[in-house]
This record gives sequence, structure tokens and C-alpha cells, in this order.
Amino acid sequence: MTLALFIALGLPLLLGPLLGPLGRVFGRRVGWVAFGAPVLATAALLWLAREVGLPGSRVIEFPWIPSLGINLSFLLDGLSLFFALVVSGMGVLVFWYANFYLDDHYEHHGRFYAYLTLFMAAMLGTVLANNLMLLFVFWELTGITSFLLIGFLHEEESSRVGARQALLITGFTGLLLLAGVLMVRQVGGSFDLSVLLREGLPVGEHRGWLTAAMLLMLLGAFGKSAQFPFHFWLPNAMAAPTPVSAYLHSATMVKLGVFLCARLFPLFNEYELWAPLLSWVAFGTMVLGAVLALQSHDLKAILAFSTVSQLGYLIGYYGLGPARGVEYDYLHILNHVFYKGGLFMIAGVVIHSTGIQDIRQLGGLWRRLPWLGAACAVAAATMAGVIGTTGFLSKEMMLKEIFEAMRPHGTLGAYAAGCVLVTSVVKVAFAARFFTNVFLGPEPPAVKEHFHAPPLALQLPAVLLATAAVVFGLAPMLLDPPLHALSVAGLHHPSDHLALWHGVTLELAVSTGVLLAGAGLYVWGQRTQWRWARISPALRFDAFFEAGVRMFSKFTKWLTRVLQADRPVSYLPLILVFTLVVVGGWTARALAMEWRVFDWLATATGENGDWLRAFAAALISLAVVGAVLLKQWTTQLISLSIAGFLTTFYFVLYRAPDLALTQILVEVVTLILVLVLLGRFPRSAERGEHTWRPPPLRRALNLSLAVGVGGLMTTLVLWMNARPAAGRIGDWFPAHTEALAEGTNTVNTILVDFRGFDTLGEITVLLIATLGALGLLMRYKRTPEEYRQGPLGPAGMGLHHPEEGKQ
Amino acid sequence: MQIETALLIGVLFACATYLILQNSFVKILFGFIVLSNAANLVLLSMSGAPDGREAPIAGQGAGPMVDPLPQALILTAIVIGFGVTAYLVVLLYRLFLDQKTTNAAELYADQDTSEHT
Repeated sequence: MTLALFIALGLPLLLGPLLGPLGRVFGRRVGWVAFGAPVLATAALLWLAREVGLPGSRVIEFPWIPSLGINLSFLLDGLSLFFALVVSGMGVLVFWYANFYLDDHYEHHGRFYAYLTLFMAAMLGTVLANNLMLLFVFWELTGITSFLLIGFLHEEESSRVGARQALLITGFTGLLLLAGVLMVRQVGGSFDLSVLLREGLPVGEHRGWLTAAMLLMLLGAFGKSAQFPFHFWLPNAMAAPTPVSAYLHSATMVKLGVFLCARLFPLFNEYELWAPLLSWVAFGTMVLGAVLALQSHDLKAILAFSTVSQLGYLIGYYGLGPARGVEYDYLHILNHVFYKGGLFMIAGVVIHSTGIQDIRQLGGLWRRLPWLGAACAVAAATMAGVIGTTGFLSKEMMLKEIFEAMRPHGTLGAYAAGCVLVTSVVKVAFAARFFTNVFLGPEPPAVKEHFHAPPLALQLPAVLLATAAVVFGLAPMLLDPPLHALSVAGLHHPSDHLALWHGVTLELAVSTGVLLAGAGLYVWGQRTQWRWARISPALRFDAFFEAGVRMFSKFTKWLTRVLQADRPVSYLPLILVFTLVVVGGWTARALAMEWRVFDWLATATGENGDWLRAFAAALISLAVVGAVLLKQWTTQLISLSIAGFLTTFYFVLYRAPDLALTQILVEVVTLILVLVLLGRFPRSAERGEHTWRPPPLRRALNLSLAVGVGGLMTTLVLWMNARPAAGRIGDWFPAHTEALAEGTNTVNTILVDFRGFDTLGEITVLLIATLGALGLLMRYKRTPEEYRQGPLGPAGMGLHHPEEGKQ
Repeated sequence: MQIETALLIGVLFACATYLILQNSFVKILFGFIVLSNAANLVLLSMSGAPDGREAPIAGQGAGPMVDPLPQALILTAIVIGFGVTAYLVVLLYRLFLDQKTTNAAELYADQDTSEHT
């Protein structure tokens, strides 16, 4: 079984990167090498399905990061095998189709098939994964490969825009999925789906977390499956070559959201948010998609919007599903694969042979492509739900279940039923339009001019899919055994046997009514030539999104300009504001919570302060404020020195004779040094400063910042002193200074004995400062030009002077 | 409680911040000198109120002593602060020699125009 799994999943992963180089050798024939991947995968998966012993399940696990509970773990059960077979089976048809579609007009065949093969592998990995982290990895890999595929024709802007939208939307919602997965892991204790499904999620106090996790994971599913408000990326992703559209956007990638909902159904379906969220969003999307499809004129856009609509139905279906399990989800999915895959391929053939995408300029292709026309008629009938096709079965079951669901769900059920009815009517209209306006009617001259016959092999996959729709539509009992075998406990409820004719029931009556109403809408549309059909600007969410992306880049540019100043001095206020807000805010919060600030003030005023100290402090303050207010440098410096010498006195009051001595020395030397410096400056330099004053706003900012910093520091000092120290390290030093260091002055022994290395570091700093100062003094004087040119000097041997050239 | 020290520290920090926010490099230098004094006082306030205590010299009196550790740290800080001040002074001198200005606004105004033309 491991080998079969390797053939299905590992082989395409390994083959993918090889196809790029191979493409350079083989050209477009590399497609036939790639064709092997889906064929082998399908065979291997069929063999696996036989071996697993359905409806049982099997887990295959290889260790990857066991310490984090992340392993290469694969869950083989009905659901995963069903989706895997859809992916690989559709892959066979698409790879075949691509081999004929991508003729020599295209370039880089190797790269194309590499992306496509990798995409298929990623899809298979996602649906087969048991470990949720592994699922997320493959999920994002599908997003990345689909980005590459959508942007394959990267010379066209629409391709680039579509690819970017798809990547942003699916990538972003994928991250939400990751967040949900991590939350489930925290609460549920395991990344493994098999474990979670077996043991269920814990109920009780974690319900809030689990609801949040469910919301996040569902948002991931909505993004991937193009549900409102993310629905707009899918139509724009149609800029890809048609095989890609047929594969990614009808049959596989967008179904991942559906798959995820199916996987989560047993875990979450009883949460009260599950049904309303899924139903409101998904059924709303269904109607919106159908209406937009009716209003589009581009072949692929019509199909894309109808895909959005159908995905809405599939997801909403899980939302309304009863707790005992759903019955016919596989039927709906298969039906969609049959007709949508077929229609995409038909659209591709039409575009390929005429070069026209606008449905208004097409017509009369029946005479030239009878086989394709027949296939299109069947596929359109399936989409419309005409009797004799799988579409009819699907619609019968859909209506039946919606009517059943109306009873337990009340308003929600009525809403869903209304949405389904409206959508069905609209769908009939655009299905009929798609067929008749392309294949019937007179042939426009543009078609006559451009038409070149496509090879028959290109039409084959579409014909095959249409045949399947008819065969299974006429003989639904053929579907019974596989569907029963693939059903999964917890998700599915054993379904009745499928039958073509259920007798004259309510569903049949409604279905007929829908067909008639749809035909009426179609006839009216033909009469008016669909002139009214245009998507209103208010519904162009893609345009809003693009505008948002542009706004975002503008915003970041603006932010960079505002925050990044050319002058370093402008940063200081910013840093100070930040510090004040963070430290000050935190302090204020802590103080407000404790209400101790009043206690300190009470003790502070209650104690007998030291008057001598208060006097000294007042004098120092006066001197420093003087230094700020005085105009001339020399007087400022003198004022500053007075403050410094008074600080010496303050140290004495704090019983610190050594500090006082050092302070006097340093103060004297600083005074002399700065005086020498100021003496070097000409008078004009000082006078120039008085003429330039900063604007009043800036002065106010400076002032408030200064007051804020001062206030904050006062508060912090008071706060620190309000907490009595439990025990001081400092007490140890006086007790041991005589015994260990043979000295009585504890401050001195600390510096030279106990903490001698600190003093060594201090001396080193002084040495570095001296060397730096020496270097500054010894450097030769540079001209402003040299200064501007930087340390490298001018280019061109010093002969070239840019300044002269400017003048 | 050392409320007068706390207030003094607040005033010193406020003045230092105001000076450093100026455009004149000389004032920024003055601001730095005030700032290092203020930081020293913060450290000093950590040794607790000195009322009724003795200088940290062992074997002189029987009374309690002030905490010697902040004093040792401040001693280091004063010297390093002086080293940095001296470096700043020389840097300012060099700047004046090269750029003929002692004002940040002038210095960068010159650069701005050269960048935009």
C-alpha cells in the first residue's frame, strides 16, 4: 500500500520539477511524459480503494517532525479516495486535453506541465492528508502552483492581476486556516484527523475556542472555494490557459473548500453557528454567482460565475445537513465535474478554433463541430437539470433535501429553498444561452474568417464527460455501489437507492416549473438580445479589491515618507513619544490599579524632609533652568558648571565623599574643555543660532516632551523608593571589606577589588574615547565636496569633478 | 522618602530633554552633560535616604551605613560620562572645521538641497 501511495502522490511530486528541463529537450511532446502521472495515480488509487476495504479506513504514517506531532500521515477513507479519484481521473482528461490544446503557439511547455503535475500532486496530498499541518502545507502548495498556472501567460496584464488576486485571497485565507488548525490542536490535543474524528472534540469550557477555530477554518474554505466576499478571484483567474481553468476551477482546486467542509462536518455540525454561517453565506453566493453568470458575455466568465454558484450550493448543503449525516453530496459533486469540466473544455475548443471569447460574436458552430455541439447540448442540459442526465438526479435530490430541511431550520430553510429556486431558474436560462448562442443560429462573419478545425482528439474529453452524464443520468443504479462503498461514518447517512423515476412528486412538479420559468427567462433574454446584461459597477468586487491593493501600496509609501526622515534629529522626538507612551502608559496603568500613589504622597509629606537637601536641590534646579533659559553659550556653560559643583555638595549630603571628589575633578576638566571648544568657534556661529528659531508648534512639542520625561522619571524614582528593599547586596561589602580587601573605604574596595573588572572596562572605555578623539583631531580637513562624496572619494582618478559639471 | 531628590531628578531630566531636542549642537552637548548628572542622581536615590546613616567607611562608627554599591556604580558612571563628553567636544570641533556650522538644521538643510537637485 505504501508503494501505491508513493506512485499516486510521490511520483508526481518528483516528476514535476524534472519536467522543466525535459521540456527544453522534447518541446511540446513533454506533455506525453507528464500524461503518465495522472494515469498511474488513478490506477494506484483504484488499487488502494480496493485494498483499504471500504467503507473502512486506513492510516499510513511516516515520521517527519514527531516532537511537534507533525507527521507524513495519510488517511485513506471514502471521502479522501473519492476526491483523490476525482482529481486524478479529471487529471487524465485534462492532461490529454492539454496535449492537444497547447500547440506550438505556446511556449515553455516543460514549465507548464511541471506546474500542472505539481498542482495535481498538491491536490492529492491535500485530500489524502491525515495530519492537519500536512493538509495545510499541501493546501498552500495548491495555492502557489495555481498562482503559477494562472499567471502562466505572464506577458498579459490580466493574467498577472488574476494570479495575484488568487494568490492573495487563497494565501490569506489559508493563513486563517492555519490559525484554526493550531487552535484545534491546542484544544483537541492532536493534529491527526483520524484521532479527532474518532474521539471527537472536547465539549464544555473550550467551546468558545472551538467556535473561533471553526470560523477561521471555514473562512479558509470560503477563500479557496470563492465564496462571498472572496468570490471575485475565480472569474479573474480564468485568464489562465483553458486546460488550467478546466482543471483548477471546475473540478479540483475550488472543490477544496467543499472538501474541507465535508471533513469538518462530523466535528462541528452541531455547533450553533455552523448551519447559519454556511447557509447564509453559501446560498447567498449561489444566487449572486448565478445572476452574475447571466449578466456576463465572456464564455469563460459565464462558466466561472456558474462555478461560484454551484460551489455555494455544495457548501451550503453541508451547512443544512442534518446531524445524522448527508446523503447525496458525492452525486452533486460528480454531476458538477461532469458538466462543468465538459463545458470548460468545450469553451476551450471554441476559443482555440475561432479565437473569440465573446458569446455575442459566436454562433452557428453546429455545422462545423457536430460532436462538440452534441456534447455541449448534453452538458448544458445537465447544468439546467433536464431529465435523463445526472443534473436531473442532482436537482431532484437537492429539492427533496431542501424541502426536508425547511422543517427543522425554519427561516433558514425557507431562505435556502428560495435561493435554490431562483438559482435553478437563472441557471436554466444561461445554460440554454450558452448552447444556442454558440452552436445555433447564423454564423457571424468573424467566425467564418478565423475558424480552423480543431483535432478530434481535443474534443474527446468533453464528449466522454457528456457521455458519462447521460449514462449515469439514465441508469442511476450504476452509481449506487460506488457511492455506498465510499460513504464515511459520521459524514454520511446511508442513502436510498438512486432511481430515475420517483413518480409524480412535489419535486418533479417544482423541477418542471423551474425549467419552464428558466425557458421563459431565456426567451425574454433572446428577444432583448441580452442588451441589459452587464455587471453593475457596485458588484465589481474585483475592482474594489484592486483599488484596495493600490491604496495599500500608496499607504505604505506615505507611511515610509512620514516615518523616515532625512535628518537623524527628527527621530529623537519619535523615540521619546514612543517611550513616553509605552513606559508612561504602563506605569500609569500599574499605578491606577494599585492606588498607591496617594499613600506615597502622604508618607512623603508626613516625614520630616531634610531642609538642607531641599535647599541644595532648589539651587541645582535653578542653575540648570538658567542654563536652559540663558542665551549665550558662555553664560549657559557657567550656569551648568554651578549646577555641577552644587551636585558635588549634594553627593556630600548623601554621605558619598568619593563621589564628591570625583565630581569636582570632572566638573573642572569639563568646564575647561568646553570653554576651549567654544573659544574656537567664531562669534558669528553663536549669533547665527539666535536668528533661527524653530516654529512654535515644534517648541511646544519639545516642551511637552521635556515635561513628560521629567514627570515620568520623578514618578519612577518615587515608585522605586516606595518599595522597601528586602535585603541589599550592598550590605555585604562593608561587612567583608576589611577581611577580604584589607581596606576600610568600601567604595574604593568595591572598585579596585570586588568589582575590579568593571573598572578595567571603564578604563577601556576611556581609552577608546581618547583614541577616537585623537583620530578626529588628526584627520586632515576636508572640503565640502569631498565630504559629500563620502569616504570612497571621487570616481575616475580624481580628475572628474561633478560639481564643476553642474555649473 | 526622598521627595526632594525625586523632584530634582525630574527637573534635570526635563531640562536635559529640552536641550537635546534643540538644533544647536552646543546645546545638545549641554543637554548631554545634564543628562549624565541626572542619571547619576537616579542611581544615588537607589541607595535610600541617607538620614541618620554614615559614610560607607568601615570601622569608624557603630551606626548604620549607606549602601556603598550605588556609589561605586556612580563613580564609574561619572568617569565614563566624562569620557563621552570629551569625545563629543572633539567631534563637535571636527564637525565645525569640516562643515562650518554648529547647527543641525543648517547641516541637514544643506544636505537636503544637494539631494533634491
